[in-house]
Amino acid sequence: MSAEDTSVNNASDTTSANQQLAALSLAADFASGPPKTPPVLEGLHLRKHFPLRQFGIGVTSNVVHAVEDATLALYPGRALALVGESGSGKSTIARMLARLYTLTSGVLRFEGKPVTNDGRAALREYRRHVQMIFQDPFSSLNPIHSVRYHLSRPLRLYNHAQSKRQETDKILTLLDRVSLSPAEQFIQKYPHQLSGGQRQRVAIAQALAVRPKVILADEPVSMLDVSIRLDILNLMSALKDEERLAFLFITHDIASARYFAEETMIMYAGQVMEGGPSDVVIQQPKHPYTQLLISAAPDPDRPEEAPFQAHGEIPSLITPPTGCRFHPRCPHAMPVCRERFPGRTNLGNGHWTHCFLYGEGNDDTAPAPPSASTSTTASAGHS
Amino acid sequence: MNAPNAPQVAPVFSTTNILEIRNLSVEYASSSGTVRALNNVSLALGRGQILGLAGESGSGKTTLGHAIARLLRPPAAITGGQVLYYPPDDSHRVKPPNAPGDGQPIDILQMSGKQLRAVRWSTLAIVFQSAMNALNPVLRLSSQIGDVLKAHRPEMAAQERRERAQELLKFVGISPDRIKSYPHELSGGMRQRAIIAIALALSPEIIIMDEPTTALDVVVQREILLEIARLRKRFNFSVIFITHDLSLLLELADKIAIMYAGRLVETATRAELKRQPRHPYSYGMLHSFPTLHGPRRRMTGIPGSPPDLRETPAGCAFHPRCPMAFAPCATILPQIRSSSAETPQQLVACHLYDSTHASGPLPTNADFGARYEEVYARSSLGTRRAVVEDAR
Repeated sequence: MSAEDTSVNNASDTTSANQQLAALSLAADFASGPPKTPPVLEGLHLRKHFPLRQFGIGVTSNVVHAVEDATLALYPGRALALVGESGSGKSTIARMLARLYTLTSGVLRFEGKPVTNDGRAALREYRRHVQMIFQDPFSSLNPIHSVRYHLSRPLRLYNHAQSKRQETDKILTLLDRVSLSPAEQFIQKYPHQLSGGQRQRVAIAQALAVRPKVILADEPVSMLDVSIRLDILNLMSALKDEERLAFLFITHDIASARYFAEETMIMYAGQVMEGGPSDVVIQQPKHPYTQLLISAAPDPDRPEEAPFQAHGEIPSLITPPTGCRFHPRCPHAMPVCRERFPGRTNLGNGHWTHCFLYGEGNDDTAPAPPSASTSTTASAGHS
Repeated sequence: MNAPNAPQVAPVFSTTNILEIRNLSVEYASSSGTVRALNNVSLALGRGQILGLAGESGSGKTTLGHAIARLLRPPAAITGGQVLYYPPDDSHRVKPPNAPGDGQPIDILQMSGKQLRAVRWSTLAIVFQSAMNALNPVLRLSSQIGDVLKAHRPEMAAQERRERAQELLKFVGISPDRIKSYPHELSGGMRQRAIIAIALALSPEIIIMDEPTTALDVVVQREILLEIARLRKRFNFSVIFITHDLSLLLELADKIAIMYAGRLVETATRAELKRQPRHPYSYGMLHSFPTLHGPRRRMTGIPGSPPDLRETPAGCAFHPRCPMAFAPCATILPQIRSSSAETPQQLVACHLYDSTHASGPLPTNADFGARYEEVYARSSLGTRRAVVEDAR
């Protein structure tokens, strides 16, 4: 075990990271620490398989194994970043949490209570609290409607405005909150009159209009110009603090995960690999995949000839590798990695990983799915 | 790397130039008036150099790449300037017909169709942004590479072409037995590699790469970048690498040119830019990327958004967003000039470096940082953050 430890740990990295962590605790702007309140939204052992449409006699039906056994919790006033490459299942998780997809198995819990599947009214009630922001602000707004229309819909639908006058007031306040000023001018504009950043602000205002507790942001800045990205991230983090919103922040950019989110979870090919406080995960990555991901990220401070080793490619999710799906590319793969996927190993300070290099992963602290609430374990999903 | 006050110019610039862009301007005609996509851009590409071209959408970086290769189509029109190509002295390669003697430049913009055909691909190749769209989905890799060879090297036999195609795939790290594959059988990264292989087919001297890694995942992106660096070392071609991701250029490029609203705002070596960006926009761009190391602190970004090219602000186009803006910025267009005596080759278009407008010491990183911070604190978001922080 110790030999394996040294092979994965870079001692000098660890010490410098520790110093940086010490400096970090002084930064008041990013005061974090363990969550003090119970989670708003939890996903327990989420699994999603998409059946492939295949016809013909004797054709065995295949499925895309998009997400396997993901457990996560969102806390008020905190953000969880979900980091992974395309096809890692991060957007699927967001869509399951938004209940745009049914679960193949697993349980959603909102404020401690299991979410049940009873009809449109209940779904609308759920979405009063859980809202989503999409990646592409060019297609998430309807080009034939004005900003006013986009923001008046959620206000009316959720009964937040009783009169036309009140509606206008609320829309102006919303526009102010997303820093679209002068609000009186923006209210009558159409999407084509807005820049990408401004559209994404309208999309954020639209999510805020229903006064949600949870926002699921699926790559909210990756389509925007570089100079605007920080602006939107800063806006979201102001909203997170002001309204105590719980954020799920999906990104492929591990540096912005560190910037925005208190916690980070790394996914690969539908499996959760590692998670914990963002700084610990990014500065002391334990899982070989996390290490690969970080060594690949653009980093101007990297020494000129930093080694970079990557073998193979992201596997097919129709016939995924057995066991840990990273094993065909993993420099430390052992026979056991081929056989089964390891459980969660706690590494202390809220940092955990699923990797046999650090143990069998028997100390799974994630609560087991409650057997009583199987109502959301709907039949294999159709979306 | 040079010490800040080293007497010589950085070695990168001592190599002779292969391409010189002089006062290039491009306009797009549109119903709502002409859009000046490129304004008086002058830039040099050294032999064997990787020149990074960075900018946001609409800054003109892709237009510049396409103008050099003469790929612009109406409504775009080149309204002025020259793109001078310097053929190598010991050229054993096919020269364009009517080429002048050794050492004499040829203006690509003045070439006839015949000359252009001879130059394209064998001298100047281009790699487009989307590998998906650049490959023909119904042709095997073998015929797509073979097509290039057939068109430009008609004397090659079929067997030779096949061998060359396999060799090219090997160069870019694809197993030669994939030669019979269709594009859909390849992953995104492999498709991008195949495109690079096709660009390399005639051993060009210059390759223009237009956001070659933007659609790829980070791990694949890094593999491709390392591949480009490796191939460049091996074949000694020059690269113009167009991207919006400045952090990537700081690892890859020898020289970096930053564009804003159709103009060049700064050109510098990678080391110069890392040490001390001169233009306030360059500083803002460099500090718009969250980092992986160091303390986690709030970053400010650049206020506002890029201008509409139909109504570019008067004077310096960046002045409405610039935290350092002063009187002349709103009215007088800054000319690109040497930024300081210590860094004569670090060119910048900013009045802060013009003694007729500004005096006193040149701004440092700390000055830029403080001014950006001030603007942020005054913004509505900044005041809101302050309230939240006070409440803690």
